[in-house]
Order: sequence, then C-alpha cells, then structure tokens
Amino acid sequence: MVETQSIPATLQVYRYDARTDNLRVIVGDAAAPLPPTDLIERAREALQLRSFVCHTVTDYHDVLGDEVCFIPRGERCDIVSIHTNGWRRHHGDHRRSLLDILNDLAAAVARGRLHFLDDAEIATERARGVELLFLDISDSASLAAARYAVEAALQQTRLPSAERKRLVLSVSEATTNMLVHGGGSGCLSLRLLDDRLRVVVSDAGPGLNFFNWIKPRSSDQVSMGYGYKIILENLEQVYLHTNAKGTTLVLDCTFDERLGNHVAHESRQGHRANHLP
Amino acid sequence: MLHTRVDKGIVPIIYLEGEVDLDCTETLRWVVSDAVRGSDQAVLDFAGVRFIDSSGAGIFVRLCLDLRAQGVHLRARNLSPAVEDVFRMLKVRELVGESAFIEPQRQN
Repeated sequence: MVETQSIPATLQVYRYDARTDNLRVIVGDAAAPLPPTDLIERAREALQLRSFVCHTVTDYHDVLGDEVCFIPRGERCDIVSIHTNGWRRHHGDHRRSLLDILNDLAAAVARGRLHFLDDAEIATERARGVELLFLDISDSASLAAARYAVEAALQQTRLPSAERKRLVLSVSEATTNMLVHGGGSGCLSLRLLDDRLRVVVSDAGPGLNFFNWIKPRSSDQVSMGYGYKIILENLEQVYLHTNAKGTTLVLDCTFDERLGNHVAHESRQGHRANHLP
Repeated sequence: MLHTRVDKGIVPIIYLEGEVDLDCTETLRWVVSDAVRGSDQAVLDFAGVRFIDSSGAGIFVRLCLDLRAQGVHLRARNLSPAVEDVFRMLKVRELVGESAFIEPQRQN
C-alpha cells in the first residue's frame, strides 16, 4: 500500500462485479478514496439507478474534496477516482484541471468508449489480430515517422480520409504522451482485426501517475492535458492499462459496415508485417 | 517537419509550413522570440500547416500568453482546416481570446 499523502495525484480505478459481489483494483495501488464497503455500497446504488453517479470525498488530511465517479455497465460498476491531494492550478495556468481530466475519463467510460483493463485483459487485447506494422519510438523526431507509417498503412485500406486523419491525430497524441509522461520511449503496433484497425502504444514508464503534471519537467512544457480528450473524442473504442511498470493504450478504429469486408480483405492482401527500426 | 519563414516588417509575419507537434516546439519558440524582437505585435500564419496536435496547439497558447505578459500581441491567421479542427476541439479561442485571431474578412 502506498501512502497517499506522499503522492501528488493518483488515478485509481476499481471494478465492482454484482454477479460475484467482488470489488477489485484495476488501476492504482494507493489507498482507496473510501473504505471498500462504502465503495461497494455506492456501486450498488449506481447499478440500481443505472446512472452515472459522482461523489465528492473529503478526508481527514485533505480539506479539498476529490471526485469519485461510479459508472454502471451492465452487471459491473467501474469506479474512477483521481486523488489530487489538494493540488490546484495556480492563476494563469492554461492547462486543464485534474478534475476536468477525470471527468473526461469517467464520461468516456460511461459512454462505452474507454475501457480500463487489468493485466490479463490487456494481454489478450494486445495480441489480437494480425500485426501490420511495428515501430520503436524513442524521441520527438520519431513522432512524425510514426504518423507517416500509420498513414501509409491506412492508405492501403479503403478507410475514408476523415477516419484516417482522426486515427493519425490520435496516434500522435498517444505517442506524444508516451514521450512526455511514459518514460520517454516505447513502441507502436498497428494491427488488423476482423472489424477494425487497432493501434497499440506501449511504454515502460512510471504509469499514469500525474507526477509530471504537478511538476512539469520544464517551464516550457506545452502539454495541456488535452491528449486523452482528443483521443476519446475521435475514436470509438479505447482501452487503457496502466501501472508502475508502464502504460498501454489501445486505439481502435472500427470499419464502416459497408466497407468492412473490403478493407479487411485488401489489408490482408496488401500488407505483411513491417518491422521498422 | 516544420518550416518557417519570417517577413520582417512593422508587424513581423511568421509563415508556418508542415507539421506542428512536440518536435518543433523549441524551434517555434525560438523563431517567434527572434521575430518579435523590437516589435509589440506579430502574426503567425497557419495556411501551410498540414498537421497539428495538442502539443502544437499548446505551444501557440503558451506563446500567446507569455508574449502578452511581455506586452507583445501575437495573433494567428489563415488557419488551415487541420488547425481549425484541433483549435475547435481544444477550445483554443477561449483560452487565448478572440483578439488573438485575425478573421479572414479583416485581412488585406
């Protein structure tokens, strides 16, 4: 258990399964924002209401409340929280607040666009389909190379131009996040599934822990906290796995039903896995 | 890759061409800082920008706000569709104010 007070901000995700009456940790290892019994009770309430529920939590150490979102999905309820430890933006800071970011993440979970995955689930998802492209990304100069490679692969499909642009923009955001927040390097894999193209962006960084959000690596940091907002607005399905050993983001672009078979067929015909340095 | 060209004048104009992302933030900051030396305003022309992401939008916001604090008015004009899309998604106009943009009908 990590002492919450020593950490500037933490993302925590729990999942309550009503079928097994089980609560488990999906993301984070810090102290829960509420006792587990309270989390379960409120998750049950959200499941009963079938409604997104947000609670403000004030604890003994922190007079400023943090939000905990309960998001029912079928028989399960995802519980998303960022403990900000009282941190707030100073006047004139143009970056987004941590609670804005939390609300985006929670809303995306509620809309079914974002799925937090545990170790086993991400292992399954990242192995699905056929790999079309693999890239190591180690510096900011490789961001453009990643975009060009993905764009070139997408041009082999009949994915409409607007969809291609949305995916390429999302790839740029995901790989930039990797460089800025994910330890400075990682890899990208483009995969073809039956009904979608999938980009998997992985790093071995410290996880989505907001350390360098509170303390930017330099005064020139240009990140405003909008990367995930762009990704979640532009893609139908996003999967996120993060812990102290790294972060994996899975970006899915589903095919239009009218094009699906053609895209999949042409992609399989036109591609072999390209492993670029 | 971002290419820049500066038209020096009473109001320096910095023409951007290519892609604006994390890789060009230092270059762009240096080019703009150099261009505005001795001026109290400058214009960034985005007509040639084919791609921009949130890092690119972020450097524009940061430059606008930092220069404004130094008494320099930086404005954007000729937003390409790619720039317009991302600025709209990120509500950049709300962050820096409408006065940071030169609308097409006001250009000569």
